[in-house]
Amino acid sequence: MAALLVLPAMGPHRLDQLVTAAGSAQAAWELLRRGHSNHPDLARAELRGDREKLLSGWFVAARSIEPGELLHRHQRHGVELLVRGAAGYPLRLQEDPEPPALLFARGDPLALAAPTVAIIGTRRATPYGLKLARSWAAELTEAGVAVVSGLASGIDHAAHEGALTVATAAWTAAPVAVVGSGLDVVYPRSSARLWDRVAEVGLLLSEAPLGTRPEPWRFPARNRIIAGLADLVVVVESHLQGGSLITAEEATARNRGVFAVPGSVHSPASAGTNRLITEGSQVATAVSDLLEALPSRPVRPHRVTNSNREKTKPVALDFEQLRLLEVLGWEGALLDDLVDRTGWSLEVTSAVLDELLRRNLVTQSGLWFIQERDSASH
Amino acid sequence: MLASISSAVLRGVDGVPVTVEVHVAGGLPAFTVVGLPDASCREARDRVRAAILSSGFAWPMQRITVNLAPSGLPKAGSGLDLPMAIGVLVASGVLSAAAVAGTAFVGELGLNGVLRAVTGTVPLVEALVEDAVVVSLAAQAEAAVLGRHVVQAASTLRAVVAALRGEGAWEQAAACAAPPPEAVADLADVRGQALARRAVEVAAAGGHHLLLVGPPGAGKTMLAERLVGLLPELSPELALEATKVHSAAGERLPPSGLVRRPPFRAPHHNASMAALVGGGSSWLRPGEISLATGGVLFLDELAEFSPAVLDALRQPLEEGRIRVARAHGSVQFPARFLLVAASNPCPCGNAGTLSVCRCSEATRRRYRRRLSAPLLDRFDLRLAVQRPDPDRLVRVGAEEGSAAVGQRVAQARELAAQRGVGANRELTGALLDRHAALSPSGRRMMIDALRQQRLTARGVDRVRRVARTLADLAGESTTVLGEEHLSLAMHLRVDCDVLLGAEQ
Repeated sequence: MAALLVLPAMGPHRLDQLVTAAGSAQAAWELLRRGHSNHPDLARAELRGDREKLLSGWFVAARSIEPGELLHRHQRHGVELLVRGAAGYPLRLQEDPEPPALLFARGDPLALAAPTVAIIGTRRATPYGLKLARSWAAELTEAGVAVVSGLASGIDHAAHEGALTVATAAWTAAPVAVVGSGLDVVYPRSSARLWDRVAEVGLLLSEAPLGTRPEPWRFPARNRIIAGLADLVVVVESHLQGGSLITAEEATARNRGVFAVPGSVHSPASAGTNRLITEGSQVATAVSDLLEALPSRPVRPHRVTNSNREKTKPVALDFEQLRLLEVLGWEGALLDDLVDRTGWSLEVTSAVLDELLRRNLVTQSGLWFIQERDSASH
Repeated sequence: MLASISSAVLRGVDGVPVTVEVHVAGGLPAFTVVGLPDASCREARDRVRAAILSSGFAWPMQRITVNLAPSGLPKAGSGLDLPMAIGVLVASGVLSAAAVAGTAFVGELGLNGVLRAVTGTVPLVEALVEDAVVVSLAAQAEAAVLGRHVVQAASTLRAVVAALRGEGAWEQAAACAAPPPEAVADLADVRGQALARRAVEVAAAGGHHLLLVGPPGAGKTMLAERLVGLLPELSPELALEATKVHSAAGERLPPSGLVRRPPFRAPHHNASMAALVGGGSSWLRPGEISLATGGVLFLDELAEFSPAVLDALRQPLEEGRIRVARAHGSVQFPARFLLVAASNPCPCGNAGTLSVCRCSEATRRRYRRRLSAPLLDRFDLRLAVQRPDPDRLVRVGAEEGSAAVGQRVAQARELAAQRGVGANRELTGALLDRHAALSPSGRRMMIDALRQQRLTARGVDRVRRVARTLADLAGESTTVLGEEHLSLAMHLRVDCDVLLGAEQ
């Protein structure tokens, strides 16, 4: 079965057709090995696309591949094979309309025993989205919910980072990642450390065998698995067109709850999510919205207060500091914006801002200054 | 007969005195030039002969040998035409040796005997020990810049000989009408963008190198052009240095002859190494960075420059001069410039803004890697420039103009000079501790910023220098830096990864 997946342009649909037509994966493999394109079993398989070209490509490739050697290679890399129908295969995918026949896994498949929420969104995220993904992922993980995402850059990256900040504690859930390429082909390359940490603490899954390049068609296919694995899907930020909208559609098709995080109407990175809301998706404004919608309660009751963040002692703010927080508002602002809104000199504005930064009431993300939720209590 | 005439040749941006010895004696008619002349120098033979004949003098049909002493030094350029011709005329008895004693000659000859200007007149004249110098009419103003010599000018060889014999007068260049003063771009044109305006002021006052990162249309070039208008006039020494470089490079000098306004050089990003740092094959010409001496070197699209060229900037940024070495020797050019660089945050220009960046992460990383960390570290001021908000453009009233800001800049430069440095950029070690001390609260602020990774260890001194300049501009004379100045200085030096979109 693993060998079949290595063949070029072998997607889940073609694999399914081939295996059903031949009777078993073993038989299908033998057929391709022998290379009879007119064999009655093979003729039954409905293959979309250029049938002749596909088959002849597979025939050539099949002769050069040794299934035993292939299995051995996966074992060497510590990659487990989860076969549909066998133990260890994710339960949520068993009744999926398009289940992957085989999943390659690094890490602990038990990570999926917890309730799951997929946190997804655009790669070209704004500070607002990144920060939200990070903190929600941490809170969900702490509440015993496994955070599922795709390990792409942007929101996915932030979600896994956030989950990992708290996931090492024994009573928290572990993060789950579904990637589009082979488990040894880290994409984007800068995420290499994050991949390893997810595999160490939680579970790293892929439909593609080792060595598979991140071909564009694999990402939408990966998204359907994320949708299938999650009890809820929350889209943090999305442009009007993007992979996360595909995931949201797949999730709707599978009867999973789809949440969108509302954003500024000025932000192109929130255009997709805001449209999801207009089209009837549920609105998530806090982690509690998600926890309440989960079909099964997480093992550990969610505490409303957020314990992982260091509580800053409530200190009285002076007039200038309050004024700056007021004009900063809840969307990010640049130093120039603040100077403009306060009418103060650059020196005064930056000195007041620095004091707020020092007290963690304001944080900096890239060039933007953002007010921390905690500062509202002052 | 023997004649010995003084002149000079150019080596880099400096002149070297040369004695042209002409020997005319019996033998087969011949004309040879010895003493390591290069091609343009050897070709002088033909120009000199034709010029003497067309000026109506006789060409001695004897063996003529010209020696250029010191003979070990390679010589280039056409400025030796005139001394050679005068030497031949003296050696053949047309002129008396007494008539040329104590006078040096610099100029190129045309075949019809016309006298032409040569590049590098200023450094050439500077090298002469004689009291008087004869140059072409066109080079008179340039030669007079130093004011140390009696400059005598003529437009033809014939006129030179006549004047030397006392039969005619030296010529005087007609005072050409001064061109209308160039319209200087005013800082008042920059509306809003308080941080960027301040950064430009600080860069001008403290000589701090400035990096501007922002999307196309944010006004990076506009800001850089206005910076040079804020700089005070060059000091006499710097003006002379700048004038020498301009002269040696064959650049047009202002009508007064002296480069007094700080120059603004903006080489295009496809400039070659030789064009930027200086060089060339035989004639070592100063490059753009030397021409920017005393002024601003503006590198637009910094990441598009070849990495080798950018690396070559590191020595001049550190030492204020550049050494260009070639097989036949090396020369040193001055290169004391204020570097202003502009870059897009990523190839599409939108990273870090509210617009959507269309670059892949890999593209952004590749773009970021083109700029080496040691180069980026040399910018005391690094900031992002955003496209101005149209609403704000309309709303903001008149901004302070270049004249007012320039006055503050001049005062700050004055304060720096009292500390014994040209600008606060040069404050280091003990000087920095003496003039930019940290108060206990200031120190705590820096430590907090270091801990929160808003500041790097090597950034501390740079922030202190910029804070000093901010204090100078505000008229604060205490040596201990105020918190508000330190705080603003930190905001004027943004982390490179943030600027260049490596981190969103």
